Amino acid sequence: MIEVHSLTKSYPDLDRGKFVALAGISFTAQAGEIYGLLGPNGAGKTTALRILSTILKPTSGQVRVNGFDVVTHAAEVRQSIGFVSNNTAIYDRLTAWEMVEYFGRLYGIPRADLRNRMESLFDKLRMNDIRDLPCAKMSTGMKQKVSIARAIVHDPPVLVFDEASVGLDVLVARALLDIVAKLREEGKCIIFSTHIMREVERLCDRVAIMHRGHILAEGTLPEMADQFGQADFEELFFDLLNKHNQLHGVTVA
Amino acid sequence: MNWSHVYLIFLRELRDQLRDRRTLFTIVVLPIVLYPLMGMVMLQMTQFNREQPVVIKVIGKERWPSSPPFFVDSKLQPVGIKGAETKSIELRFEKPDDQTLEQYRERAQYELRAGEYDLLVVIPDQFDSEVADLATVVDPKVAEKLLGDETGEVDLSTIKMPVLQIFSNHANDRSVLAEKRFSHFLEFWQMQWLQGQLTHHQLNPKLVDPIQVENCDISPPATRSAIVWSKLLPFVMLIWALTGAFYPAVDLCAGEKERGTLETLLSSPADRREIVWGKLLTVTCFSICTALLNLVSMQLTASMLMRQFAKVGAANILETLGPLPLSAIGWLVVILLPMSALFSALALAVAAMARSSKEGQYYLMPLLLVGMPLVMLPMLPGMKLGVGTCVLPVTGAVLLARAFIEGQYHEAWTHVPFVVFVTAACCMLSVRWAVRQFESESVLFRENERFGLSSWIRHLWRDRELTASPVEAVLCGLIILVALFFGRLLSSEATLDWPSIARSSLMIQLGMVLAPCLIMATILTRSLRQSLGLNIPHSVDFVVCILLAVCLHPTYTRFVWFLEQEYSLGADTKELLQYLDGVITGAPLYSVLLVLAVFPAICEELAFRGFIFCGLKNQNGTLRAILVSSIFFGFSHGLLQQSIAATVMGLVLGVIAWKTGGVLCGMAFHVTHNALSTSMPRFIRAEHPIPSSLEWAFSRTAEGIDYSSSWLTLSIVISIICMVYIATRKERKVPSVESSPKAFDVPAGYKLST
Repeated sequence: MIEVHSLTKSYPDLDRGKFVALAGISFTAQAGEIYGLLGPNGAGKTTALRILSTILKPTSGQVRVNGFDVVTHAAEVRQSIGFVSNNTAIYDRLTAWEMVEYFGRLYGIPRADLRNRMESLFDKLRMNDIRDLPCAKMSTGMKQKVSIARAIVHDPPVLVFDEASVGLDVLVARALLDIVAKLREEGKCIIFSTHIMREVERLCDRVAIMHRGHILAEGTLPEMADQFGQADFEELFFDLLNKHNQLHGVTVA
Repeated sequence: MNWSHVYLIFLRELRDQLRDRRTLFTIVVLPIVLYPLMGMVMLQMTQFNREQPVVIKVIGKERWPSSPPFFVDSKLQPVGIKGAETKSIELRFEKPDDQTLEQYRERAQYELRAGEYDLLVVIPDQFDSEVADLATVVDPKVAEKLLGDETGEVDLSTIKMPVLQIFSNHANDRSVLAEKRFSHFLEFWQMQWLQGQLTHHQLNPKLVDPIQVENCDISPPATRSAIVWSKLLPFVMLIWALTGAFYPAVDLCAGEKERGTLETLLSSPADRREIVWGKLLTVTCFSICTALLNLVSMQLTASMLMRQFAKVGAANILETLGPLPLSAIGWLVVILLPMSALFSALALAVAAMARSSKEGQYYLMPLLLVGMPLVMLPMLPGMKLGVGTCVLPVTGAVLLARAFIEGQYHEAWTHVPFVVFVTAACCMLSVRWAVRQFESESVLFRENERFGLSSWIRHLWRDRELTASPVEAVLCGLIILVALFFGRLLSSEATLDWPSIARSSLMIQLGMVLAPCLIMATILTRSLRQSLGLNIPHSVDFVVCILLAVCLHPTYTRFVWFLEQEYSLGADTKELLQYLDGVITGAPLYSVLLVLAVFPAICEELAFRGFIFCGLKNQNGTLRAILVSSIFFGFSHGLLQQSIAATVMGLVLGVIAWKTGGVLCGMAFHVTHNALSTSMPRFIRAEHPIPSSLEWAFSRTAEGIDYSSSWLTLSIVISIICMVYIATRKERKVPSVESSPKAFDVPAGYKLST
């Protein structure tokens, strides 16, 4: 479903010259699987996922989503992906219904189908009471629901959640995780990036630990525990980060 | 491109904007309310002007001649002069107390400032008798002179004239008004007095105004009222079109970034081009609406207002400022559509750079600064539609609309193709720019990085590339233009003999053109060869370019001749140029060729097709490089006529530089071209006869020599072949040195933190 191979991304930067956000990462994710990207802020998660959703172009390397290359077949990739991030806000001056309808029509869904699809979506996500509410007047949780509805209105095989739980209260965050888990049951391939370890432990089938543009370790949680001889996932995470920093002569505060 | 995406985006953005109170206010409410309010204020101001009574103090009323009457019962006579009612003047009289003029002045100074009255009129002693004397006594000497000596000057100063002293305070509007009203009555009184005197001496009283002039304006009334509006309205309309485009553009770009919805839209199936087109249509729509609403509201208010003025006596105002005929409004709308599209695309591209709405507002000023001169140019007196003016973006379109409004259809229609072409080209370029802005990650995801001078300088040095960046290229062009401006001012003081002309020309070429680009290339790039485009060309290209220069020269001279007809040079400039031609012709050929052909070609090519072109060509900017470098090249020539010709030649040189992959072919072209241009005046003189082997290419004319028409035709054909060869040849890729050696496996950004 998703194949990332030797992906690099660098930006010009006034202070540091060329800033390398991704230093050649590779991973794959399958249908019916939640693949976690775990890492501190600045690890390169958002950059990687923006490339996946064709918002950014890779500097080098290959990325294929649902069999389509993100550079040469960007339109097809966008059709087969649903992207939710804490940077993808919703239009304040539209109602929930208008918002989802707009994206549904951009995805080219015929009007009648779109209506049915939206009715079932609004039922499923329990959004009927906010259907005609302007997005500006919604709580963060409601907004997140609209965002998710917007991302799955075209029933994409691949879903990307980029730090989607940031800023949500406990209840809403829990509801979000439930929705993500349900989507996996529907056979979607899901990339879930976060810096919260609890979410990874609860949700992800496989995890990649990212730090400063590198993937430090990858696998299921038991695999990683075996590989590094550390059963506590949190300890394992910090050990890896520290080891990487020491190797490159950097100390973490 | 999927137009259904464009349509969907357009509809959504339109709905979004219509739900925004700020946008609605600027676009709909403001124009509807603004002009009626302004009209109201104007009406009130004129009422105030008419009805405000002014106080005039008159000292020595008794000394005024008794006939015809002037002061009667504290009213000025005669009652009922049009435009000045006696009730608007309050007269206060005072008996004279034999003060000197100086004392009256001091008194007036104090009392006028204190506001006790608005005007002081002092009638001196013996005033009435002096006036009476004027009518009867004529100095016999003066009379003799007046009647006898026709050629000699008549000295009238010996006649003693009655003097009326009026003190006013021009720093106060009321005082000015009082003076104006009093003078009005005084003039009328003088006329009456003079007519009385003429009658008394049994002469025709009409002698006062011996000739009656009958003015006959043959222009139709509709055109008369159009003439003022056709200058004013396009200006107002286009300024509103620009403003109306800008605010929605900022909201649609920077606003979306700020609210975080841009990324949502970017991840949707619509591609960048579709997004830009959707937004562009929305912005254009608002721009047109704003301009139209303003136009209609202003016209309605103005015509009502003028009708009101016409009622109170200014009847001719309707002729000049009456309502605009419908056809005129139609023409304005026709030019509004492309202008709005152009402004919208520009506004969109500029607004895309802003990270927030607040930052976006800052970009309005630069955009206005660029747009305003083009909109204001047609308002200059004497600006009319011509081959030169019609190719200016915006200005050409405005002048075209004006020609249509004023009914000059023949002139207008002949220029339509040029205006359409220029406008369409500008629209396409600005849309392309907007799309590029949306495709550029560095523009869309610009982070709020702190700008520090030292880190910027470090960045310039550390991140040097093989060639300059587009920004550095533009900067170099600007530096050259500024340096040339000052250099030319300094060198214009030099004497006009060949050695000093040669010296100042070399100084300008080396110091103002070559030095900036060499310095910048040395400091800002890693390869002089690459950044200046110093690559060895193909020998065939080299020969073709020289051939093209020779063959293009006849067409070029015709073009320059045509430009000189279109924009006639001032007499001074013409004289100077002729003098310079004489000096150059008199100088030794080898030094003329060296100074005016070889040096400029080397310096200008290294600067404009080397550093600037190569810098602008970066990041897929070939078209940008050709256009911008030729504009810089054009501007670097002093006279307007030269600038236009040089810009066109700059385009040819740009294509040569692009296709041949360096500056050397362009240099060959440039040297050949300049050599022909500078040596041609030589042949005009008889002492330099045309070699017999070349006689077929030239013909003698009254002014000197010119290319023969057979050679002109042939040369055009050969030029076209050469240009087609160059334009269709594969771009010569220069093998570049391996770029930045930095490897990816060492992530940058590692800093020792404490």
